This record gives sequence, C-alpha cells and structure tokens, in this order.
Amino acid sequence: MFFILDMFILAGIFGFLYGFLLQKADFCFTASFRDWISVRDSRIGKGVLVLIATAMLGFGLMLTLGFASVKQVWSMPIGFSNLIGGILFGIGMTIAGSCASGALYRAGMGYIQFWIVIACMIAGNLLFALVYDPWAADYVMEPLALTEEGFSLFQMNLPFLLIPFLIVALMLFIASHQFGWIGIWQGAKESLQDMKGNPLTKSHWDIRFVAVLLGILATIQFVVMSSISITGPETRIGGVLLSFFFGEDFIYQNTYLNGMFADFPVIGLGPEETLVIFMIIGAFVSALLSKSFRIRKPKASRLPYAIGGGLLMGISSRMAPGCNIANVVAGMGGLSISSLIVIVGMAGGVFIATAYIFKMPLMLFQKMDFDFDESA
Amino acid sequence: MALSTEELSTVIPDYTVDGIGEVCPHTLNIALKALKKAKPGEIVMEVTDHSIATKTIPAAVKMNKIAEVLGIVSENGEYKIYLKKL
Repeated sequence: MFFILDMFILAGIFGFLYGFLLQKADFCFTASFRDWISVRDSRIGKGVLVLIATAMLGFGLMLTLGFASVKQVWSMPIGFSNLIGGILFGIGMTIAGSCASGALYRAGMGYIQFWIVIACMIAGNLLFALVYDPWAADYVMEPLALTEEGFSLFQMNLPFLLIPFLIVALMLFIASHQFGWIGIWQGAKESLQDMKGNPLTKSHWDIRFVAVLLGILATIQFVVMSSISITGPETRIGGVLLSFFFGEDFIYQNTYLNGMFADFPVIGLGPEETLVIFMIIGAFVSALLSKSFRIRKPKASRLPYAIGGGLLMGISSRMAPGCNIANVVAGMGGLSISSLIVIVGMAGGVFIATAYIFKMPLMLFQKMDFDFDESA
Repeated sequence: MALSTEELSTVIPDYTVDGIGEVCPHTLNIALKALKKAKPGEIVMEVTDHSIATKTIPAAVKMNKIAEVLGIVSENGEYKIYLKKL
C-alpha cells in the first residue's frame, strides 16, 4: 500500500479541526465521568453522550446510503483484555489529568505536563510491544481472549439505522423525563449561544454543540479515510523514533510493531500519524485566537502523576485496545462490542482512581459536607 | 450575582489559593479545601492556569450549593475564580 499526498493533506485537515474543536470546548473525557460521580457535574458527560449519539446516527446513515461498508467499522476481538485494558486506561487518565485526546489539545495550549504525558504514553506503547513479543502475546493476551474476530451490531441483519435510532430514542426519553421537552429545546438553543459575534476568538464553545460537530467530522473521516484513533498512530510514531536508534529490522522483528506497520510501505509516518500531529496544531491555533495559549509549567510534585499516568495509558491502550477517542467515537459509532466493554472498564478505572487514589468526595452516591481527605 | 471584571478587581478575598501549575482534580480540591475552611459569606479566590477549571469549579460549587460564583477574571491563560461561601 502506498500513500498519496492527498491523504496526508486530508488527514492534516481532519487533525486540525479535531484539535481546534476539542480545545474550544475543553473536551475532557476524564472529567466527563469523574466530575459526575464526584461533584454531580454532568455537563461534559452530556457532551460525550451527544457525541456518541451523533456518531452512531452518522455511521448508520453512511452505511444505509452505501457510502461505507460494514467492513470499514472498527471492531476488535472480544475478551477480558477489553475490560482490564479499559480499567487501567481509566486509572491512568485520571492520574495523568487527561485522556489521549485531552493530552493532545492541551499540549497545543502550552501545557508542559501534557507533553510529558504524551511522551510517557508513547514509551508505554513501546513497552507493551517489547513485552508482547516474546512474552505477553502467549501468556497474557491469548488467555484473556474470548473471540478471534471483533463484532459490531451493524453486522446483524437489521436495517443499519435501527439500533442507533433505538439508542438515541432511549437517550431522548431519559432526557425528556429529567428536563422535559422544553428543557431539551432550551438546551439545544443555549448550545448555539457561543456562535454569536466572532466565535473564533471566544475562549469557549458549548460542549454539546462541539460534540455534534465532532460526531459529524468523525463520520466524514469514517467514509473518506479511516476510523479515528490516537494511540495506534502514537505507537507508530514511537516505532519510527525507535527505528532511528535501532534500525528498521528491530521494528520488523517485533511481532507487535511489525503488525502495526503491516500496511505501510516503509517504517514512517502515514496519514493517521499526520492527523494526530495536526490535532496539536489545531489546538494551538484555537488557543492563540482566544488568547488562551500560555506555557504552563506543572508543579514538580505532580510530575510523578504525569509520568505514571502516561505510562499506564500507553500500556493499557495497546491492551484494550484503543484510547478514549477510538472507543467512544469510532467504537460506539460503529456499535462495536469490544469498545462498549472498554468504556465500561474506563468508567470503572476513573471511579477507582477518583475514590481511592485522589480520595475525592463522591457526592453522586452520598450527600456529605464535602468532607474529604485533606492530604489528597 | 455575577460581578464585572472591574467590580471583581475591588473584591478582597478572605482566602487566596494558588492553583498555578495544577490540573484537575487538584484545581477543584484546592478550591473545596479553602471553602471548607471559610465561613459563610467569606470569599475564596483561586488563581489557576488550568482553563477547564473555570468551568468545573463553578459547576461543582453551584451544583452542591457550596458557594456562589461571583465571577471569573481571565487574562492570557491565567484565571482568577471568585467564590463566596454559602
């Protein structure tokens, strides 16, 4: 397979737009669950649900119209590794302070902490590859696997839009119970408020509005390019760096890394890696326009969190496989069972880290006088 | 009661906490800790350079009726969040 220049340009545009939008909404997947269980703030959680709904409807519509085939849907083999990888990823992102996409857009905003997180994620990716071959493939990943193939609900002989419609109808039903139909309409109107005046220079866009745009963008990418992913391309970026030091044979001799470059003509950066790099650039431009860019130096005492969380995310994202973006957007959009399991795991991981590592108040479950461990 | 940037500049906080270089959830924990110490009516101001804290901290204190958000002053990636304990 050879890449043509157009694919790199297309990937660059996608990456730029993702980074720009994620920064504008401060789209933090970690906070979507952590803040809900800890302080009952569901704002970002709602954004994630809108994103999932948009992607599902978008993917279903594209399959119905014949613009994409079921073969293009990203679904991975099912097994306990989905759950364990998800849990470890959830713990990692809570400790590090951001998920895979959050680290990228914040790197573009000038956070040194998240450059460290990205570097450690890549180190974690490579560490997994070096343990996978010769050891973990047979002794860890194989016993944890339940199926050899992935499964997407789109593979069932049902009209493609049926399941997305049912899930979105259920979401709307629950929302209408909680907020009423007028409340939902008000919310939809509110979400467009930031578009008044010059939206480009505003520091914040409503997360629900941005979620719809991200869902549409991921749908277009699904049709014209690939399923969005971050940690797979980051692993290849790591592989390319590794090949500078140890030569290309080193990459080809490792089963895992060799597999990662299977569709590549050489060991190098392809369109998806370009997309990931341009996410940082998109976020940088977005932050500059709203005067939110600033070199942000982390507190030294927090560096172990960045390093540990990053390494954990790197290793677990290979195990699961996939990061928050791949599983939430491409996975849920594609109705993939493995991604559903990974997301359940991630939620569990965020809970574990929030409750037991940071010892945050858990006001969703118990009313308390925000009485929590002072040392956390 | 949201105050303007000029009005906020005249507010003298009872507690000022430093969240520069911190990220979530520490930015929130710092604010909650200070609010725990504060008496009702007292003002807590957190300085932070973590952009999302300008959304998460106000949401958390409003949702749980811990404090009133007086306003946020934003300047070149640095933010001052003013909270009045309820």
